[in-house]
Amino acid sequence: MSAEQMGKVSKHLRGIFALVTVVFVAFLAISPVKDYFSEWKRFQREYVRYAQTRSDTKTLLTSFHSGIDQIWIPQMKVVDRCRTCHIGISDPKLQDASVPQPFRAHSTIPHSPTEWGCVVCHRGQGLATEVREAHQTTLAWEQPVLPTRYIQASCGGCHQADLQQTPRLNRGRQLLSTLNCTGCHRIEGIDKPVMPGPDLSDVGNKVSREWIYKWLNEPQTITDSAGNITVNGYEAKPKMPHFALKQREIETLSAYLSSLKSEPIESHQFSPQLLAALKNRPESISEGEIRFQQMFCTTCHSLAVTRAGVTGVIGGDIGPELSKVGSKVNEDWLIGWLRNPQQYQPHSSMPRYRWSEEDLYKVTRYITTNLTDPGLLSNVPRLSPVDTQEVRIGKRLFSDKGCGSCHTAKAVPRQKDFGPDLSNLGARNISQLEFGKAAIPRTLAAYIEAKTTNPRSVNPDARMPQYQLDRGDVEAITTALLSLTGNSNIPAQLVLPRHQSEFRVGGAFGRLYEQYKCYECHKFNGYGGTLAPDLSFEGSRAQRQWLIDFLKNPRTLRPTLTFRMPQFNMTDDEAKTIADYLKLVSLSPDVDESSADEKQFTPQAAAVGKELYEVKYQCQACHTIRGAGGYVGPDLSNAANWLTSAWIEQWLRNPQALVPGTIEPHRSFTSEEVNAMTSYLMTLKEREKVKEVR
Amino acid sequence: MRASPKNSPPNLRGEFHRYIALLLLALLMANLDACRRAPPSLVVDSSIVAYDIEQDPNDPQRSIPLHYEQAEGKRIFYDKCIWCHADASPAGPSNRSNLIPQPPSLSDGNVLNSLSDGFIRNIVTLGGSALGKSPMMPPWGNTLNEKEIHAVIAYVRAVAQPPYQAPGRSSSDYGVK
Repeated sequence: MSAEQMGKVSKHLRGIFALVTVVFVAFLAISPVKDYFSEWKRFQREYVRYAQTRSDTKTLLTSFHSGIDQIWIPQMKVVDRCRTCHIGISDPKLQDASVPQPFRAHSTIPHSPTEWGCVVCHRGQGLATEVREAHQTTLAWEQPVLPTRYIQASCGGCHQADLQQTPRLNRGRQLLSTLNCTGCHRIEGIDKPVMPGPDLSDVGNKVSREWIYKWLNEPQTITDSAGNITVNGYEAKPKMPHFALKQREIETLSAYLSSLKSEPIESHQFSPQLLAALKNRPESISEGEIRFQQMFCTTCHSLAVTRAGVTGVIGGDIGPELSKVGSKVNEDWLIGWLRNPQQYQPHSSMPRYRWSEEDLYKVTRYITTNLTDPGLLSNVPRLSPVDTQEVRIGKRLFSDKGCGSCHTAKAVPRQKDFGPDLSNLGARNISQLEFGKAAIPRTLAAYIEAKTTNPRSVNPDARMPQYQLDRGDVEAITTALLSLTGNSNIPAQLVLPRHQSEFRVGGAFGRLYEQYKCYECHKFNGYGGTLAPDLSFEGSRAQRQWLIDFLKNPRTLRPTLTFRMPQFNMTDDEAKTIADYLKLVSLSPDVDESSADEKQFTPQAAAVGKELYEVKYQCQACHTIRGAGGYVGPDLSNAANWLTSAWIEQWLRNPQALVPGTIEPHRSFTSEEVNAMTSYLMTLKEREKVKEVR
Repeated sequence: MRASPKNSPPNLRGEFHRYIALLLLALLMANLDACRRAPPSLVVDSSIVAYDIEQDPNDPQRSIPLHYEQAEGKRIFYDKCIWCHADASPAGPSNRSNLIPQPPSLSDGNVLNSLSDGFIRNIVTLGGSALGKSPMMPPWGNTLNEKEIHAVIAYVRAVAQPPYQAPGRSSSDYGVK
């Protein structure tokens, strides 16, 4: 373009050109300005300013490098830039609560944040460099940070075996199993109970239609804050969840269920002499109550008790509450059940007691007379006689409502996968969830919480019934469900699997093990309940004669214990079989009974041991001997008849090697001290001479 | 070559300028606005950011948030210490009133706040008799590891009533600008 032509360009156009140039230069300059003002850079400048207010400025700033700080864990496909703003996260100097966020150090945890980053546990968006995108749900970034209350869910991703450090997660997993969530949902890694709800094939012989109506309508007794009963239901904490059924549905279901009868029950014939002696004796009821208590029925069953105007239940939760059972079951059924629970319900966890006719009569009288509520069925409407039409509708309703997921009934097969698959619930995006009109934060944790507390709060048409859960239970279940991410990014070598174990025995012991349901409370080789001591090494611990006596007449070793072993009324032969089995099989490799040299247990050594016990180590702080001492450990008054000397010696050397997690502290006694204290304990015998059983 | 401005009516040329100017101004504003935007404040609820909570022993309405280490201390406390250092144990009655001298309740700040971390660590590790205190306090050094004992101290400090104040600089020295 020539100069002449240039001159022709109008003044206006040159003006525009100049303006546009200036604006574009300014426009380009915005880019570095915007970068300068970015959130993470502002936090880093703030950190430098903060460091300058402290006395250790120099060390803090030497270790600080500006720029994006990124951790890459390729095996888990994790990129984590959190340390860009959380600069002091692994600096112990910045652990004090007065250090402003986001610079404060993380409290001590088992996995170093330098090695694992943050998002492996906290979730959120590791790649993001803005506060909102990293922590919350935005359009493009769906995974928010997990509330710390539920952080144990992240432990569960890799640690599928229970950890001591994650009580909330463990409790949640346990609840998912005991509440039988697996009855309707597919949940990976949760143990399935053998028989979640009772078999209903013969329920018509057990209870009346009116009781079924009551149970489906008002299962729970509800008390207001002043202690007045507002709903007089059947139990305080029913295990069965509440299905919001309409009156018509309850009518047909109760008609169907009460029609389920196999053969009629034969009533048990007590001998005429026994009836003549006991029938008109009013004391037989109170004697039945004493027997009920002596047999420790309340170790598994609870009873309602009113103390100081407050009604609560006392007792175990393995079996159902019995406060009103006398108004529920038919007496003939009750006697048959007590004599042999497995005949009615093959999978029942109730032991088969050996009853004397007298005890059976008295306990039954006590249950049917005292454990009753005369007003229980008062608000059940008059139910017309059952017709086949109702039974047919009731049967269909039984399947439609998913009753078959927990219960079996004649000709109705167990239903499987009635509810949705929950195996990857913990990784669902919010867009996949149905919140309905619930006024809750739009997060996965809040959704699971609301759904668990009241399924109809997020979906009015939910088929899921409502469980009676307290706040702690809801949080535990939410944690366990959030841990189910189905995350395929976790490499197999990082997953610590859950060990499944089952301990089944055959032979004479096996039959007793099944009859008395030892595994409901005790653990054997990693299998069984946690209510009572682990018996895996019981043969090394206890003497044979003591075992026999204990099985025949269980006494408590720990004064503060509420739950005690029931009295099964075992025969001598049964007790001997169990004791022999334990002495032969349940042995610890660390205890060698033949190694203990009884000759070393001299009176002199025992006197030294007594001195050590009472003065130097003051074991009486926790253990009781003849009524004096503490309540923490077991009563040692009868130690010489109870424990083997080899067990005592090894126990004094290292108790945790024999019973992991026991409270007894591991001390460093010298071998002379171990010998002296064992000698002393081996002198502690209760006066009564133990009768020898051959 | 662009169309010469001479070919366009003057009024149209004026509007053209204005459009460009407005467009650029809008872009500029939008960009500057993006720079100025303050980061959103995150909702901080102590029960949500806490790993676990503990009931305030003196005020049932208040709960004390615990971080991981303090929660670990709580777990160990409820397993090993509660029997003698609290008025109720998981089994019901407490062994505390049973002992002479009576062990302090672990949430009692009046007793424990004046003890240093080092002293508590030593008495837990070595037992009462090693420090001239009651031999009824057993040594836990072989049962609990250093981290666990540290966690117990962290828990005790968190639940102390009156609250525990770490020695050294007062918290105002760390104040944010």
